[in-house]
Amino acid sequence: MKKLILLLSIVSLTVGSWGCKESFLTLAPASNPNAENFYKTKADFDLAATAAYNTLYTVYHPQGAVSYAGELMADNATIYNISGNQADKWQFRDYTLAPANTLVYQFWQDFYRSLYNINIVLDKLEGATLDADYKTKLQGEMLFLRGLYYYNMVQIWGDVPLVIKPITAAESYNVLRSPAAEIKAQVIKDLTEAKGKLAAAPSLVGRATKGAAQTLLGKAYLMTGDKTNAAKELKEVYDSKQYELLPAYTSLWDPKVKNTKESIFEIQFLGGSAIHPFSVYHREFFPNSNALGFYGSGMNQAVDDIWNEFETGDSRKFASIDTGFVDAKGVFTPARFPKKWMDKSAPLINQDIAANNNFMVLRYADLLLLLTEATGEVSYLNEVRKRANLPLYGATSYPAKYNTVALALEHERRVELAFEFQRWFDLKRTGRAVEVLKTKGKNITDNKLVLPVPNIVRDQNNKITQNQGY
Amino acid sequence: MLTVPALHAQTVAVKGRVTGVSDADALPGVSVVIKGTQRGTTTNADGSFQLEVPGPSTVLVFSFVGYKSIEETVGNRTDINVQISPENKSLEEVVVVGYGTQSKRAVTGSVISINYDKFKDRSFSNVTQSLAGTLPGVNISQSQGAPGASPVIKIRGVSSITAGTNPLIVVDGVPLENFNLNLINPSDIESIEVLKDASSAAIYGSRGSSGVVLVTTKLGKAGKVSVSANLEYGSQKVVRRVKMMDAQQFIETYKDAKNNAWMAQGGKAGDPNSVRPATLRIPEDFVNNPEQFGKGTDWQEAMFRTAPSVNAQLSVSGGTEKTQYMFSGSYLDQTAVLDQNYYKRLAIRSNVRTSVTDKLTLGLNLGLTSIFDRTEGTQGKSDVISLGLQSNPHFPVYNENGNYGFRDPNSTWFRFTSYADMNLWHPYSLTREVDKGRKSFNTLATGFLEYELIKDLRFRTSISGNLYNTRNNFYWNDKQKYGYSSVLAAQANAGSNYMFNWLSENTFTYDKKFGDHALTGLLGYTVQKQRDETMYVAANNFPNDLVHTLNAGTVTAGNTTASEWSLISYLARVQYNLKGKYFVTGAIRRDGMSRFGEANKWGYFPSVSAGWLISDETFMSAIPAVSNLKLRASYGVTGNNQIPNYGAISLLGSAPYVNGGTLANGLKVSGLSNPTLKWEKTDQFNLGLDLGLYNNRVNVSAEVYNSITRDMLLFVPIPDITGFSSQLTNIGKMRNRGVELNISSKNLTGAVTWTTDFNISRNRNKVLQLGPGNAPIQYVDNVVTVRTEVGQPVSNFYGYIFDGVFKNQAEIDGYPHHSSTTPGDPRVRDVNGDGQITDADRTIIGNNQPDFITGITNTVGYKGFELSFLFQGSFGGEIANNNVRFLGTWDNGRNFYESMYQYWRSESNPGDGKHFKPSVNYLGLQKQFSSYWVEDASFVRLKNIRVSYSIPSAWAGKLKMKDARIYVNAENVHLFSKYLGYDPENTTYGTTSYSSSMETSGSYTSGNAPVPGAFAGVDYGSYPLPRVITVGIKADI
Repeated sequence: MKKLILLLSIVSLTVGSWGCKESFLTLAPASNPNAENFYKTKADFDLAATAAYNTLYTVYHPQGAVSYAGELMADNATIYNISGNQADKWQFRDYTLAPANTLVYQFWQDFYRSLYNINIVLDKLEGATLDADYKTKLQGEMLFLRGLYYYNMVQIWGDVPLVIKPITAAESYNVLRSPAAEIKAQVIKDLTEAKGKLAAAPSLVGRATKGAAQTLLGKAYLMTGDKTNAAKELKEVYDSKQYELLPAYTSLWDPKVKNTKESIFEIQFLGGSAIHPFSVYHREFFPNSNALGFYGSGMNQAVDDIWNEFETGDSRKFASIDTGFVDAKGVFTPARFPKKWMDKSAPLINQDIAANNNFMVLRYADLLLLLTEATGEVSYLNEVRKRANLPLYGATSYPAKYNTVALALEHERRVELAFEFQRWFDLKRTGRAVEVLKTKGKNITDNKLVLPVPNIVRDQNNKITQNQGY
Repeated sequence: MLTVPALHAQTVAVKGRVTGVSDADALPGVSVVIKGTQRGTTTNADGSFQLEVPGPSTVLVFSFVGYKSIEETVGNRTDINVQISPENKSLEEVVVVGYGTQSKRAVTGSVISINYDKFKDRSFSNVTQSLAGTLPGVNISQSQGAPGASPVIKIRGVSSITAGTNPLIVVDGVPLENFNLNLINPSDIESIEVLKDASSAAIYGSRGSSGVVLVTTKLGKAGKVSVSANLEYGSQKVVRRVKMMDAQQFIETYKDAKNNAWMAQGGKAGDPNSVRPATLRIPEDFVNNPEQFGKGTDWQEAMFRTAPSVNAQLSVSGGTEKTQYMFSGSYLDQTAVLDQNYYKRLAIRSNVRTSVTDKLTLGLNLGLTSIFDRTEGTQGKSDVISLGLQSNPHFPVYNENGNYGFRDPNSTWFRFTSYADMNLWHPYSLTREVDKGRKSFNTLATGFLEYELIKDLRFRTSISGNLYNTRNNFYWNDKQKYGYSSVLAAQANAGSNYMFNWLSENTFTYDKKFGDHALTGLLGYTVQKQRDETMYVAANNFPNDLVHTLNAGTVTAGNTTASEWSLISYLARVQYNLKGKYFVTGAIRRDGMSRFGEANKWGYFPSVSAGWLISDETFMSAIPAVSNLKLRASYGVTGNNQIPNYGAISLLGSAPYVNGGTLANGLKVSGLSNPTLKWEKTDQFNLGLDLGLYNNRVNVSAEVYNSITRDMLLFVPIPDITGFSSQLTNIGKMRNRGVELNISSKNLTGAVTWTTDFNISRNRNKVLQLGPGNAPIQYVDNVVTVRTEVGQPVSNFYGYIFDGVFKNQAEIDGYPHHSSTTPGDPRVRDVNGDGQITDADRTIIGNNQPDFITGITNTVGYKGFELSFLFQGSFGGEIANNNVRFLGTWDNGRNFYESMYQYWRSESNPGDGKHFKPSVNYLGLQKQFSSYWVEDASFVRLKNIRVSYSIPSAWAGKLKMKDARIYVNAENVHLFSKYLGYDPENTTYGTTSYSSSMETSGSYTSGNAPVPGAFAGVDYGSYPLPRVITVGIKADI
C-alpha cells in the first residue's frame, strides 16, 4: 500500500513539476509563423515582397476604392441589384456620400493596411544584409507600389496622413493629414527613386519595372500640372521602344494572353482553381441573375452614356461592353456590363468563377494618350486611333464634336480605357469633372470631388480634420 | 447507559406508529434504535413498528433522512406514537466551493447551490437550461432553440468587451474553459453551484471574472443498493412562428416596390415591361393572374415538424462505509423540429470512491459521452431557417417534376429565372439534398488520491484528462433538385477536431477545531495544459451522388491547425470561524499563463470575505420570528484569460501572389504584438443578507455588488494608418453593479403544500474608460451598428430614429427630411436639430441588456401530486433585428413580414403609419440602421409546467420500490412578446469564445467584428425555441 501511495504521489508530483519550468508557459504558435524572427533572410524578403504585391488584389479589387472612384463616381457605370449593403454603394454613384459610409472606411483601411505591408519591407531592408542588387530592386518595387497607392489616395481624399514607415499606435495619433501637395510631392519622390532603382526588365514577370515607374511618374507630373517633366518621363518610355500596341485591341482581353508588349504594369491572377488567387472581375462585373450557377455582383454596369460614346464602327465598343448572357435553357437575357475581364472558359467552383484574366494598371495606349496630353502632339493619340481603325484626329472624317486636342483626348481615353478605372481620375486631372458630370445628372460640386474622411477615423483621433462639404 | 446491555433479560415489548406533519402522513422506513446500541428496527409501510426494549429507562431514537431525529424515553408506555418533523437543515447543508466544501452556514461569498431535485424532471440536455429564470443575478438565455444548443450564461452582467465571457465550468473539481455542458447528463448531477461574487470565484483566479459554475456528479451512499430507472417520451413543436406574407400579399408588395421605383424615375405604374429597365420588370404572372398562386407555400410549414424524443436512463448506486459508487447510462434520441435534424446522446458514467485504509482514499470519476447530431439553422442569415423565411411564397414545395425549384429547366416554373429578384432557398435543398452529420466523443476522467498525513492534515493529488473529438461530414447532391439559389455541382467536405486537456492538482488541507475556533487551511499547486487540433478536407467533381465519402471526388482543399495553452497555479486559502457565528475567509491564487506577454505571464488574485450569523447571537432569541439572519461581505479580484492562445504574439498570415506566372506564397504581419499583455482583472465587492423567518418558512436573500473591471483585454481600435485596426491591449474600465433578491416561501405546509420561489435581479453596466481619447468602439454587421462609449453600457445599438411615415407632401415640407423623401417615406428624426438629416442624427437606439430579470416558481403538492410552474421575465432590453434587412424592407425580392403589409400606399390609404412604402430603389435611409430595426426584447415566458404523481409509499413498498413517479413536463409553454422574429432571446452571435474546438453558445461570428459578443442581442436569423412536452416515468428500487 505504501508503495502505491508513493508511486501515485511521484507520478502526480512529476507531472506537476513540469510546470515549475518557466518554459512550460512559453508556447510557440503551432500553426502560424511568428513575426519575431522574420525579415532576416532573402527568403523572408521574397515572402514579404509577395505579400506587398498581394495588396494590389485589394486596392484594385472590382469592389475596391479605385473601381468605385474610377468608374462608379464617373459616367460610365451604375449598379442595380448589387449584393451587400446597397445604400452605401449607391452613395458613390449619387454623390451623397456620408462620413459614416462603411465602404469609405473600408477603402481607408485597405490603403493603409497595404501601405504597411510596403513600408515594413522598405524599413526592414534598411538594416538587412542582402545582395545589393536584390536590395535595390526590391526597394524600387516597393517605392513604385507606394507611389501608386498615394497617387490614388491623394485624388480620392485630397489631404491624407502620410505614412512612409511603420508607426506604432502611440505615434499614429500625431500623424495628421498632410496637404495634398505634400502627398503629391511624395508620390513624385517615390517614383523618381523607384525609376532609379529599377531595371527595364522585371525581377519576375509581373513585377514593377523602370518603365512602369516612369509611366506612373509621368502621370503623376500631369496630376500636378507639370507637363514638362511629364513629357520628359513619358517620352523616355516611348523612346525606349520597350512597349508597343498590340495589333488587335481584342487580343488585349484574352484571358490566356498576359503581360504583352502593350502591358506596362499588370496585376497577376491565376484562374482554374479555388485555391488560386483567381481573377474576380468576371464575377463582380457580371449582372446579378437567377439563371446562372453563380451570382454576379452587378458592379460597374454599363450605362447608355458610355454605350453611345463609342463612334460608329469602333470595334472597341463590343470588346468593352458585353450585351447579355444565356441561361440554362439557352434563353438570352440582355444586359450591358464590362466585357474585358470575362473568362468564358473559366471553371465554376462553388458558385464562383475562377477566372484567369490579369488586370492592367498601366498600358502603352494609356502612355500614348498621356504623351499627347503632356506635349499637345496628336501623333501619339493617332497611334491609338489607328489601331482602332478610326479616322485620325485632324482628318476630315474625325468627329467634329471633339474639336480640340483636349476634347479628343477626353473622348479617346474614355473609350480606349473604358472600365479600366481611369475615367474619374482623368476628369479630375484635367479639371473637367464637375462640368462633365453635372451634364450627366450627377449631383456634384467641387467639394464632392473628394471623399469624406471616415467618421470612425475622426472618432479615434479628433485632431484629424474633415474635408469641406462633409 | 453503559449498563443497558446488562438489563438485557428484562425486556418489554413496545409498539407504535411514526407519522410526519399530519396523522395521515405515515412514514415508512424510519429507523427506531435503542440509544447506545445498534439494536432497532424500521417502520413498515403504515409507519408502525414493534420492538423489544430493555426497560422503562430505555431511550428510543427515531431518525429519518430529511427529518429531525427525536429521542423518546419509553417509561411505562407500550404504545409509543411519535410525530417527527422535517428538519430545518438548510444551514447545515453542504455547499461545494472551489477546492472543497463548506456548510451553508459558513458561506461568506455569493454562492447559489441547486441540487438535483430542482431540475430532476426537466427535459433539457444541458442542465443550465433548466436553471433559466430561477437564479438571481444569472441570466441564462437560449439564443438558439436547436437541440443541444448551449444557452448564453451571463453571471452578473458582462464584464468584458472583447475577451471571452463564458463562465468557467468546473466538473468534479476540473476547471474546463468553454466546456459544453451537454456532455454531462443532467441526471448524473448531484448539485450545481454558481459562484457569483469575486471572493468565491477568486480561488479560480484568472478564470473567475465571468463567474464559475461548479458541477458535482453523484456518488452512492453507504447502505442499500439503489437502482433508478427513468423513461421519458417527448414531443417538440414550434408554436410561435414568424408571420410572413402569403403569396397574394407578397405579390402585391413586390409589384408596389417595383412600381414605386419606376414612378420615382418618371414612369407610370401601369407601364409594360418592355419600357422598363430590367430590374424594374414584373413577372407577367404577377400582373395578369396572381390569383393562380393562391396563398402559396408557408415555408415554415415545410421546414418544421412535430418532433418526438425518447430519453431512457438507468443508474445504480450504493456502497459501504468504505466504498461508494454510482454507475449510470442514459440514451437520448431527439428528433429536431427542423427537417432531417436530430440529436442523439449516449452518456455513461462511473464514479467510485474507496477508502483503502483509514488514511487513504482513492477515487475515479469517469464520464463517457458520445453525441451524434445534425444541427442546422443556427448559423444565421445563410442557414436553412433564415433562408426558408426569405423564400418567395408563390413557389410550390414540389414542382410538376417532383423537383424543388424554379431553376429546373424542364419545369414551367423556369420562366421565373428571367427575373433576378426571385428568391428560393428551398429548405429541402439544404436538408434532404445534404447528407451531413457530426459525431462527438468526450471522455472526462479524474483519478484522485487522498491521504491523511498527520491528524487533520490531508494531502490530495489528482490527475484529470478531458479528451474530446468530433468528426463532421457533409455531402451536397448534384443540382440539389434545383432547390438552391443556384444549381450547384456536388460537393463534400469532412472535418475533425481534437482537444486534449490535462490537469494535475495537488492540495494540502488542514482542518482543525480547538475550542470555539475552527480553522481550515488550503495550499495547492496545479498545472493544466490543452492542445486543440483541427482538420478539414473538401472535395468536388463527384461522378454521381452514389458515394458520399470524399474518395469518390477530387480533393480540392485541405487544412490542419493546432493550438495550445498552458497554465500553472498556486493557491492558498484560510477559513476561520469563531463559535460557528463569525466567519472569515482569505484566499489568494497566483496564475501563470502562456497566452500573456513575456513580461506579464503571472498574476495574483486575492480575496477576503466575512460573515456574521446574527441569529445565533443570544440577543436574537428575543425575536423568535427570525430563525436565521446572516450578514455577508466580501471583496475579491478575479481575472479573465479568454483571449486567443497567441494573443500577445505578432503572427504572420498568408498573402499569396502570382509571381512569374506561378502561385507564390507570401507572408504578412497579421497582428501587432504586445509583449506587455497581461490579465484583465475584476474587483468585486459583495454584500449579502440572508433572512429566515418563522422557522425558516420564509427565506429571503438579498445581495448588492459593485464590480470594476480594469486593464480590460480589449481589441482596442487603433488608427488604421498604423496598418492595423486594433491591437489587443490592456486598457479601459467597466463597472457592473447590481442588486439581487431571492424569496422562498413555504406558503402552506399541511396536507397541501405550496411553495413559492421568487427572484429578481438588476445589473447596470457602464463603461468607465476606453482607449486613447476614450474613442468609442464601433462595429458594423451589414448596417447594424453597435457602439461602446464611455458612460454607457457596452454595445449600444446606434442609428437613426424613425418616427413613422410622412403621410403627404405637407408633412414633408414641415419637417427636416432626406433629399429623396416623397410621401410614404420614413420620417427620420432630426436628433441634433440642425434642420437637416445627416449622419450626425444617429443616436443610441437601444441596448440588449435588460433592466431587470425575474422568475417565479410555484409548487403545489397534495399527497403524491405535485404541480409546479415557472414564469420567467426579462424587461427593458432591446433586440436588433437584422432580418429587417431581408424581411422588413425590399431586399432583392425576398418575402416580407406580414406586418409590413400595412405599408403606406397613398395619402388616402396610409397604412399603419409605421411602415414606409416599399421600393426596389430606396433612395433615402430606409436600409440604414434605425429604430425601425430595433424592437423591445422584454418578455414574459411561461417557461415550465410540471405535474408529477408519486405513488403512495405503501404501494411502492408492496412493489418493492422506494419510489415510483410519473410526470408530465412542458417547457417553453407560452411566450408573451411582441417581437417579430421567433424569440426575443434569439441572438445569432451569442458570446465571445476563443475555443477552437468545443462548441459553446454563439459559434456564429461576424466578419466585421473581432468578437461575436459585441453583437449580443442582434438576431440575424435564429432557431425558434420549440415547446417541448415530455411524459416520464421513474422508479427507484
